[in-house]
Amino acid sequence: MITGEQKPFEEIWNMVKDFKKVLVFGCNTCVAICHAGGSKEAEILASLLRMRAAQEGAAIEINHAAVERHCEPEFFQPGMDNVRTYDLILSTACGVGVNLLSEHIGDIPVFPAINTEFFGAVPRSGEFTELCAGCGNCILHLTGGICPIARCSKSLLNGPCGGTNNGSCEVSPDIKCAWVQIYDRLKQLNRLDLMNEIVDAKDWSKAQGPRNFKVKLLEEIKK
Amino acid sequence: MEHVKGLLAKVGIDPERLEMFNLSAAMGPRWAEMCNEFTEKIRGLGPSPIWLATYRLKRNIKE
Amino acid sequence: MSFREILDSGKFTVTAEIGPPKGTDIKEMYHHIEVLKGKIDVANVTDNQSAVMRISSLAVCKIVLDNGMEPILQMTCRDRNRIGLQADLLGASVLGIHNVLCLTGDHVHAGDHKQAKSVYDVESVQLLKIVEGMNIGRDMSGNEMKGATDFYAGAVVTPEANPLEPQLVKFEKKVKAGAKFFQTQAIYDMEKFKNFMAYARKFPVKMLAGIVVLKSAGMANFMNKNVPGITVPQELIEELKAAGKEKALDTGIDIAARHIRQLNDEKICDGVHIMAIGMEDKVPMIMERAGLR
Repeated sequence: MITGEQKPFEEIWNMVKDFKKVLVFGCNTCVAICHAGGSKEAEILASLLRMRAAQEGAAIEINHAAVERHCEPEFFQPGMDNVRTYDLILSTACGVGVNLLSEHIGDIPVFPAINTEFFGAVPRSGEFTELCAGCGNCILHLTGGICPIARCSKSLLNGPCGGTNNGSCEVSPDIKCAWVQIYDRLKQLNRLDLMNEIVDAKDWSKAQGPRNFKVKLLEEIKK
Repeated sequence: MEHVKGLLAKVGIDPERLEMFNLSAAMGPRWAEMCNEFTEKIRGLGPSPIWLATYRLKRNIKE
Repeated sequence: MSFREILDSGKFTVTAEIGPPKGTDIKEMYHHIEVLKGKIDVANVTDNQSAVMRISSLAVCKIVLDNGMEPILQMTCRDRNRIGLQADLLGASVLGIHNVLCLTGDHVHAGDHKQAKSVYDVESVQLLKIVEGMNIGRDMSGNEMKGATDFYAGAVVTPEANPLEPQLVKFEKKVKAGAKFFQTQAIYDMEKFKNFMAYARKFPVKMLAGIVVLKSAGMANFMNKNVPGITVPQELIEELKAAGKEKALDTGIDIAARHIRQLNDEKICDGVHIMAIGMEDKVPMIMERAGLR
């Protein structure tokens, strides 16, 4: 899922303070799980903004709404008539949602209320961790299911660097050295031979945007 | 509670204005006591910035 | 004799680090070059060491060369992508710089531009492969180049990495990728290093032991705690403590000289790489006490 955290309140306030009618627009999928941008968080944010506006003497009408997803138009299209009555949409969806809504809304600005971070797992409730970087060319079968692109601070492909430190990364003791984990996992799988081959430089062209693809099967059916 | 107090502080409202008390339905006298205490505390803190702002707006008073 | 020829001749080789400064005032660096000239065999020029921005390694290598010493160009993969790295390799080659040390490079987190975007388009093993290809006249994409390079390529290894096994797997990959010489992370435990060398001697590479002078017991404790892959044995820390504040540095120099002498006398490795870190002045003294030159 996509993870994100709400921007600092001051930054958000500075974005909205000069508008007259603002909709805090939540997304109830990924960012709701992060407690950052679901309908509940959109409602709280709208309320905080109203309190701030009252104290600043700013006459802004601030409401909230939410839909299940901002990354597919069919979810937000039905309510667009209402959405278009505002002069600013403060989106608490991820960056994908902000882009897509912006594309569909017409001449109304859509601003981000959260910082979108990565797509990650939820090992424990309220805890998020990056396991895949979406690089477009998966090698997990060679690395024991542990991704060095996402989980090694230097995205190394041929083993640990000199900064590996008792199982931790030179960047922080809180980061595990991905290559020590890969080594241990391959040992467990009795596949250490996989580490002996030199892995050539990566084709980063597949990791760089703008990226898009179409499902061939659906294309063929349409024809 | 801590979280909500934090949110209030962020928008310039004294977190002291919010409190939660736990008590059972059988504790009427204690309930009254708490209400009185809290009312006194809030009186002591004076009008909230939101109330003041709304009041000024209604009366069209400039600071 | 070139660096390669010196190592091949079997002579105990001494390289020392030159750290380019931050800024255009290079008087002190010139002084270091003067002090080291004629004493050491090769000057090893660091590349934005510890991810701290400084004069480029390539420019300083050229200065070293113009001042009569042979340089080793350190090259990290942190700040340049494959295009930049290859361009700088060609540049070095036409400037007469023919030794390159291929490193992945400390993370920007360690340096003074923590908000920088790290590159790591390729890493040390792949950089060695790039050099190998350029030496036969091909760039990384397989394009034929007009004129090949002639690099003597090296890499680094941490003999006391913890855990050690994955580090050794990488060491062997570096050998396979064309590294001809290695310099190690600072070593202090001669017995452990001998064990490592018993293993490393199986490979057709030259090994330069990393020497970092201990300035005090405090520095030793700091490194034990904070620098991955460095372990200063307790008896050396005691020796520095016993020397007292005044004499600690002198004792540190003694320790370094003693280690170098042992490495040389017992033919444990092929030479040393002295990382003076601001004490380049002291390198001739270390060498003298080690019985070299």
